Amino acid sequence: MALPPSLRLSVTPPELELIACEQLIEIIPLVAMERTAFISGAFGPLRPPAKCKVPIWMATNLKLKKKCHIVPPDWLNVDFLQDRLTHETSQPEFSQLPFRFAEVAKVLLDVASDDFENPERLRSLLKDIQEARQAKSREGLSKIDHSELSLPNLCSMEINEIRPVFIKAMGVLSQLVREPEGRLPT
Amino acid sequence: MSDISLINSAHQPGHTCLAFAKDGSRIYTGGSDSLVRIWKTNLGAEQEPDVAIEAMDGITTVAAGNNAWFSGSEDADVRQYEKDKHEVSGLVTTAIGVPIRCVAVDPKGQRITVTSDEPTVKVIDIEDTTKMFVLKGHTKAVRQATWHPSGSLLTTSGADGKIVAWDVSDSEPKNITTIEGIIPEVYDTDSADFRHDCSAVWHTSGQYFIVATRAHEIISISRTTWSKSATFSDPSCSGATTALALSHNGIYLASASTSGISIWSTQTRRLLFRYQGSVTAPVTKIAFSPTQNLLAWIDTDGVLTRWPDPIPSSSPDPVKLISVGAAVGIPKKRGTTPNLFGDDVEEKDDASKAKDLNLDEEDEYDATMGDLDDDNWILDDIGGGLQDDDGDAKWAAKEGIKEMVSVTKAQPPFQPGSTPMENKKRYLAYNMIGVIEVTDQDTHHIVNVEFHDRSARKSYHFTDHFKYELASLGERGALYACPPEASHPAHVLYKPYGTWASQSEWQYELPQGTRVIGLAAGGPPPTQSMRQKNDMDIQGNGNVVIATSDGELIFLTGGGVERHVMSLPGDFVCMCAGREWVFIVTRDGSTTMDGSQNLTGRLIKFDDFCMLQKDTVPIPKGHTLKWIGISEEGAPIIYDSSGVLNALPRFRIPFAATWTRVLNTNTLDRKEGKHESYWPVGVSGETFMCLILKGRQEHPGFPRPLIQELPLKFPFKRTDAKEGPLEEQFARETMLLDILRDGLDEDELTSTDISRRELALDKSLIQLIQFACKNDKLSRALDIAKLLHHTASFDMAIKVAGFYHLIGLQEKLEALKDDREDGPDKLEAQRERRRDRNAQFVPIPDNKRYSTFAAEPARPKPFQDFRPPPAIPRPGLERAAGASTKATGTSQITESSQFSMDDEPSFDFNAHQDIENSNYSQESSPDGKRKRFEEDSNAENDAKRRAVGDSAGDMRTAQARSNPFARKPGAVDNRNPFTKSTETNKSVHKSDSFFNKIDAAETEKPKRTTTAKGKSKDKKETGRQTTLFGLPAVPPPEKKAPGRKKKANVAEESQSQSQRGSAEPTAKPAEEKTSAESQDTDVTMLESQESQVLTELAEESQERTASPEPIDWPDSPAPVEPEESTLVEIVA
Repeated sequence: MALPPSLRLSVTPPELELIACEQLIEIIPLVAMERTAFISGAFGPLRPPAKCKVPIWMATNLKLKKKCHIVPPDWLNVDFLQDRLTHETSQPEFSQLPFRFAEVAKVLLDVASDDFENPERLRSLLKDIQEARQAKSREGLSKIDHSELSLPNLCSMEINEIRPVFIKAMGVLSQLVREPEGRLPT
Repeated sequence: MSDISLINSAHQPGHTCLAFAKDGSRIYTGGSDSLVRIWKTNLGAEQEPDVAIEAMDGITTVAAGNNAWFSGSEDADVRQYEKDKHEVSGLVTTAIGVPIRCVAVDPKGQRITVTSDEPTVKVIDIEDTTKMFVLKGHTKAVRQATWHPSGSLLTTSGADGKIVAWDVSDSEPKNITTIEGIIPEVYDTDSADFRHDCSAVWHTSGQYFIVATRAHEIISISRTTWSKSATFSDPSCSGATTALALSHNGIYLASASTSGISIWSTQTRRLLFRYQGSVTAPVTKIAFSPTQNLLAWIDTDGVLTRWPDPIPSSSPDPVKLISVGAAVGIPKKRGTTPNLFGDDVEEKDDASKAKDLNLDEEDEYDATMGDLDDDNWILDDIGGGLQDDDGDAKWAAKEGIKEMVSVTKAQPPFQPGSTPMENKKRYLAYNMIGVIEVTDQDTHHIVNVEFHDRSARKSYHFTDHFKYELASLGERGALYACPPEASHPAHVLYKPYGTWASQSEWQYELPQGTRVIGLAAGGPPPTQSMRQKNDMDIQGNGNVVIATSDGELIFLTGGGVERHVMSLPGDFVCMCAGREWVFIVTRDGSTTMDGSQNLTGRLIKFDDFCMLQKDTVPIPKGHTLKWIGISEEGAPIIYDSSGVLNALPRFRIPFAATWTRVLNTNTLDRKEGKHESYWPVGVSGETFMCLILKGRQEHPGFPRPLIQELPLKFPFKRTDAKEGPLEEQFARETMLLDILRDGLDEDELTSTDISRRELALDKSLIQLIQFACKNDKLSRALDIAKLLHHTASFDMAIKVAGFYHLIGLQEKLEALKDDREDGPDKLEAQRERRRDRNAQFVPIPDNKRYSTFAAEPARPKPFQDFRPPPAIPRPGLERAAGASTKATGTSQITESSQFSMDDEPSFDFNAHQDIENSNYSQESSPDGKRKRFEEDSNAENDAKRRAVGDSAGDMRTAQARSNPFARKPGAVDNRNPFTKSTETNKSVHKSDSFFNKIDAAETEKPKRTTTAKGKSKDKKETGRQTTLFGLPAVPPPEKKAPGRKKKANVAEESQSQSQRGSAEPTAKPAEEKTSAESQDTDVTMLESQESQVLTELAEESQERTASPEPIDWPDSPAPVEPEESTLVEIVA
């Protein structure tokens, strides 16, 4: 990978997506299937038109074959995100969102935008939220000290973004702090 | 329909005009001979009409008001005459030297509109002719003017090709819109085209007007969008349309064209009737009588033709303001008796027949009531009698269903899951199988059939020239029915889904004049996908039931064989078909005075056409039936407009079933603070599948909304947070179990599924007993104990009682248990009852399987196989010599008995379908996969345990599938399989210590997980679970706390010892076995001890939070404040 060494420490967004795809999501299947064993567990049975919970990877797979409709998660709609965006822009702290919202939203919008109302608006809202949060996390990084950095409600993608800088900086800071302490007794 | 018409030569050839008096007793005709003749409609062709001779030049228009009639002529004068007389009573207005073209009286009879060759339109008050508006907007002569039924809107059609709509409700008239390009531009006032009636004819609903276009089409233009909304077309109608008229109630449209006189339905926009006589000259004006079934027109030859009874008596009357189909509601009654039906009865999409409109119409009635001589009408000596509730007869609903005495509007027949046409789209059927959507393309419909399960049936679409209006989507085929038309009678089309036979679809024609009012396609659900060739062909294409307007209920097979014709016991309302019977709802008699629909439901079997159930359908007064359906288990379900869902669970017991309230949607949590309604689709297990409609929406729209699932919930009133839900759940589950048990064969005692569910129920009952004991409600505990299904569960209850030191209760429970054990087996008693029933009544055949086709594959598909792979004999790896010969023979049994402990029967961990699974898997997160799995198999254990305990037969099925994870237990794995084969034999014995089995299985579980972490987690869970019931895993007597030691256990232990002893001789190498066995026992003992300790710890911690009684347990670092809640979750 042609990333600088510092960045190689971090997980790439596609990898995060892969992890997020293990989450369960509701689908409305269009085909019937018995309960089936996969490496990560047994899912099903699929009984149209009843809803069923399956991992996102399976939902996207079925969706691409036009074998299911994906039921949007309750946080992935215009009203909710709009609410979060106003919260995000008006309050100093991070608003509460699912830990892997960015990955899940991206995967679902890529694959199943026809199952959502107004996907374009959703995309732009997500983008706005993401930018607002990025600004906050950058600002939050400035408060780093040797022992802790408290940014509650930070999501996986954002943690991943600040990780390279954060680890390095934390390491340097703790070294700086520890030095004098270590010397004192001597 | 009579084809005898009355023909009079009225005027000289030239432009002519015609108008009915408002009471329909006279026809005024005017012609170019400047005369107006007044014809009496009750006289025949041989009459001498009165003549009004005042006009100087050709009469161009006549119009009738309430107390006067008007004529306009080419001498530029508009004259007013007294009603029914030929004496002129005044001059209304004059145009400045140009001919008058149209006079139109508004619906209230207060104002007239006068158009002339001037480009302005005058609106003049009749009482005071000096009050006048002048509307400016046209650029040429204004040919026609028409009023909206509300009287607030006026439309004028000009020679400049414009239709202008004016708002004339205020003193300042406003031009609302100008529509161009619809009517032709005609500049030559002498041309034939100019004489054509280009007026915009408003429908009585006020929603749209109908106009003949320059393209020789008849179209309707919506009031909301002012654009074309539909076309009236038929291949037999050609040429320019010269005149249009709407029947008084708006059901029919008459059009005159060069090809003849046609009558159309305004709802379906289809040609209904044609005038059989020939039309020799272009018709200049056509009109329906406002009070009679009479159509009159006049042509350029000056010939007046009257066509009495153009509408045959089999069709809705053209005069009466009745509700016909979905298009026209009866808001009339609403004004005076709103409380009778609430808002729910009148949910027609155009309840919009705005109030002012109703008043208008009623005014007309008042005016005309005195002169009615039609027998259908009550001569009303009280003014406005129709508005009174004591009107002693009233016509309502379609097809002249007569309600005597009653004022409750009878609910019209409906097809469950269909919606009215809205924006040219509608659903013909929407159920658990799929959806039939219809798109209106004016001349034809497009029918699109889609299935929820695309793997089972293939979606299709077709072009429909018959405009099918009813459809039913069955398990084995789709059924359509079209209304009768002029060109063809009504017919029914059945399209089976299967592909076996070509030409499997068939058409069934009904005699002329008969309509189809209800349809149902039933049949057993297919065992395999319909897209493959399989056994479904031999099972047939289901059954078809048709209800007709002749009061017949026709039964056919799915292949089109007529089987039976039954008389409908009353007015048909709706029906739906299940696998072996049809559920039909009829109105036996009439609706009642106090608002009840008085509906009766019947189940009629397909095989012998006998009645299975008959009961009144429970609908609250003032409400209507909204939907009927069949649940997945086969029980009839109804949903009414008050939002209550009822089911008939014990429908298999002839004439004994009762309606059970399964859900009241008004009390749903999600409805709190929202305005939404539920449009039912189906019921499956414990879920109510529906579409959620927001606000006042009545029907689902397009695109198709997602089906939502609401859990069924009995409206139990107990609000206790713990016991309430458990009791509700128990009652609900019992209902489902009853359905399943009733469906068992004559020989079956139970099925694995049933006993699994029973076991789950017993668990929640034990919990209830525990709560009751805790709260010292002993009689309650005893009541609950009587509900327990399995004898083994009593042990548990006894232990719970013992735990709370309730010795009295304990003894009573023991007595109950003995009674249960000694008495006749509950299952057998139930089977006896089923047999008795079947002896008296013909049994309902269950879905037959034909052995030649329905042979199940020996093993399920690869990834759905939850069994371990078959054991491969590896002699080289065997520990001892004689083993290999055994292993091959008994590998199955060996496999399944791996987890057995001591004397316990064997279990295997089978992962077949499980309702509980879904509950479990919800909680799990991606990293919690492992855990979910274990929970799943945990749930499965229950079934197995039960199955094994029950009978050897069940055991066989249980062994057939087992969990691949069952293979993991490394610790126990390489034990000698021989030992276990004997134990398997033993397990056939019915063990009474049933809960020990649970513990045994659960303590066993850790062995299956390989990581230490998983193991410890598991153990903890095990501890919790056992704690609940306050008993240790496997009772090694020496470890037992003295207070909790049970006699039963000891007895069992010793019994099992003896069993083992007796079993040994059957095994071959005895020494081999005993050694292996002892080893085995050691391991399990170790395990059980370990778990025992854990159990006690967990128990203790629970005790702290749950029980007030001080019991001295050793101290432990047991954590968990929320212990109790988790417990409930696990067990539930």
